[in-house]
Amino acid sequence: MMVYALVLAAALPAAKPQDLEVSLTPSPGRLTVQLAVTHQIPEEWSRALVGGAPVSITYRLRLFRNRRWLWDQRLSGHELVVEAQRDPLTGVFTLIARQDGEVLASGHAASVEEAIHWVTHPPPAAIPVPLRHEPLWLVVRAEYLTKYKLLVIPSTVGTQWVTRAVPEAP
Amino acid sequence: MKRWRRAWERYRRQTRFLVAVYLVLMALAGGAFWLFARLRELPPEELTNRLLVFLLWWFDLTLIAVLLFMLLRNLTKLALERHHGVFGSRFRAKLVLSYLVLIFGPTLLVFLLSASLLSHAAARWFSEPVEEMAAQGTALATGLRAQAEARARRAATTVARELARVGEGRAARLATLERLHALLGNHLTGLWRDGATVVELQDPRAEELRRLPALAQEALASSGQRSERAGGTLVVRAWEVMADGSVVVVGEALPPELVAAQARLAAAGAAYQQLKLQRTAMTATMVLGFGGFALLVVFAAVWLGLHLSRRFTAPLLSLVASTERAARGETLEEVPLPADDEVGLLVESFNAMVRRLKEKEAALQETVHRLDTVLRGIRTGVLTMDRERTSVIGNPAAAALLGMPQLASRPLALEELAAAGNARLVETLRSAAGPVRGSVTVEAAGVARALELAVLPLGDAAQPQGWVVALEDLTQLLRAQRQAAWSEVARRIAHQIKNPLTPIRLAAERIARHAERGGESLSAVVPQGCAAIVEHVQAMQEMVDAFALYAKLPPVSLRPTHLGQLVTQLATLYDGLRPNLHFRVQDHLGDQQVMADPEQLRQALANLFDNAAEASPDGGEVVISLARSENEITITVADRGAGIDGSDPELLFQPFYSTKGRGSGIGLAVVQRIVADHGGTVRLLPREGGGVEAVVTLPLD
Repeated sequence: MMVYALVLAAALPAAKPQDLEVSLTPSPGRLTVQLAVTHQIPEEWSRALVGGAPVSITYRLRLFRNRRWLWDQRLSGHELVVEAQRDPLTGVFTLIARQDGEVLASGHAASVEEAIHWVTHPPPAAIPVPLRHEPLWLVVRAEYLTKYKLLVIPSTVGTQWVTRAVPEAP
Repeated sequence: MKRWRRAWERYRRQTRFLVAVYLVLMALAGGAFWLFARLRELPPEELTNRLLVFLLWWFDLTLIAVLLFMLLRNLTKLALERHHGVFGSRFRAKLVLSYLVLIFGPTLLVFLLSASLLSHAAARWFSEPVEEMAAQGTALATGLRAQAEARARRAATTVARELARVGEGRAARLATLERLHALLGNHLTGLWRDGATVVELQDPRAEELRRLPALAQEALASSGQRSERAGGTLVVRAWEVMADGSVVVVGEALPPELVAAQARLAAAGAAYQQLKLQRTAMTATMVLGFGGFALLVVFAAVWLGLHLSRRFTAPLLSLVASTERAARGETLEEVPLPADDEVGLLVESFNAMVRRLKEKEAALQETVHRLDTVLRGIRTGVLTMDRERTSVIGNPAAAALLGMPQLASRPLALEELAAAGNARLVETLRSAAGPVRGSVTVEAAGVARALELAVLPLGDAAQPQGWVVALEDLTQLLRAQRQAAWSEVARRIAHQIKNPLTPIRLAAERIARHAERGGESLSAVVPQGCAAIVEHVQAMQEMVDAFALYAKLPPVSLRPTHLGQLVTQLATLYDGLRPNLHFRVQDHLGDQQVMADPEQLRQALANLFDNAAEASPDGGEVVISLARSENEITITVADRGAGIDGSDPELLFQPFYSTKGRGSGIGLAVVQRIVADHGGTVRLLPREGGGVEAVVTLPLD
């Protein structure tokens, strides 16, 4: 198990650097997160989408509480999974966004550009935040695919982890 | 707590227990991962892929860890055993290393080759032709749909243009719609105004068109087309907005068979794309699975190799342990039979040898016990001396003879033995270069003893392993022999003196008787009586001289002597002593010289020649032959006399014994003494054809 964890840990930092824009809109008890991937989507991902395979981008959101003398405390973790699939007969792209398993939004797109824009600019996710005036950090990442280096070493293709300070609610 | 610890210690080394723990841990880890994945609501296929890869990783890494632990543990143990020189460790190390090389080499090669083949095979599955085929399938489906949409769009444009030309009259438009619907072969031709259907013509064969939902009002704001699935087929609808706001709608339902084929083609393309996304995961799964299988094979082979190496060497180690215990002086024990194979045969042979050795050891113990009893009981002293002649131990008789009781209980140094009055014995023991027989006088504990000894080497005489000395106390025997000899001498002297005394006494009595009578006869008797007395006194004088000669024989003075010449010269003197009596010498010695005292030897031979000459008849011949064997010289004096008259030949060598009725009877006794002083022997044997052979043997050294 330890070796497996070490291999995973060694594999994770090897992900290619990706750009991810994060804009935060605080409100009492809630934080609205608007995400946008500005980097080019992997070609095999786009090709699979055009070919009719179901593809998705998983946005991982992790909320941390900053502690002065100790390590940051993880308050919560969320997943925003945006799925897209093209119907080869009608040429219509079906789009669904789920946050922590619940459908957040859905739609259709007539072209692949529209579909990619939809999944790289997902609908804003709202996550609960504690009503305390403490420094909070949001760490976000977008994951496209899981590959295996040297045949057997897992490697996730996605953006780097982006850290943003959670602004205080007005 | 102790009970749990004992139970743990008891089960810790059991393979089944370890395997069960391993399986339980694996099941727990797999279950935990599955629950974790379910909580995160991963897609089933992703869950399957990740779980499978995770389990394979876990399985492979556990196998690698167990294998490394087992190898390191056993190799370290082997290295330590080899360092400490444990028997069998070198053989086991060679066996294990051979196993490892034979297992790891081919397995690693096969694994790398298989992984490469799997990777290339996966790459070929997703090769460019397949990719092109899948893409073309998808493009074909898309093209068919686009073609149908373009056809519907053209039809809608044509209908809208014709309606605009005929004006807004309802009847004219209806007639134009019916004409164009039939002419263009549309499945649906309709006219909409303000979001409501003005007229709609449908092909009765296209029932799917009836179930289609109405087009949305906002969609009809501008011209366009749409494809929708309906009832197992694809329906394409196109619409054209006219200048007066009316909308012409034209629809077409594609054939279901064509749509179904198109759908299958598209689904295959989608499935291909999905598989392509999972290509690396599939390759990883296969490689990890094959790696796990290879590791299982390696694990089983290594475990089997280690087990076999222990199984092969265990009986040999038992054999060595048993022999080492025997070498330390412990009892040689049998080894349990390991199996019915060659090693088992070896062990069985060893056990048979152990049984035979035990039987021989028991017999030897019994013999030693019996010998010890004999040695303790006999009156002959027995000493055993080590090869270097430094210490000696003896039986109780030897201890008593040498006046050292401690000699029977522990080994004593020779110096200690010499200091106790046994110096001459020790000197003899130290100077013995081989088998020695002789006599020695010791003064043990102030008592003088005459001992006859025999020194014999143990084992090879050239390189003896030790020495055995037998001691016989001759003190009493010599004393008795001496007394007997004196008695015999006194008896014989009395007998020899008594014979002449009687005639002397008779002569004296006759002279005395004639002297009392007086007369003339006295003058005649006195000279006769005196002559007789003088004659017998002379005989007594000769007897006394012979006795003196026998008693006064000097010790022999050995020097190189040409025996042939000595015998020839002496025979020449005797030849012709009597008429027709000849002495003939047969000399087979040549120039051979022997160590002898020539004067004494000449005297002894003269005695033998005298006897032969007296015994031989007239015209006879005395033959003297000289011969040599390996280590002795033989002198034979043969005559043709009357021979031995049946009396014991040994009596002839006794002093004053004679069968001739004359002489002193000392001649043969002198011969025997001289020959004995030379270390030789003399015998009288009857000669074939009559006569006597006197055989004298003298040692060459």
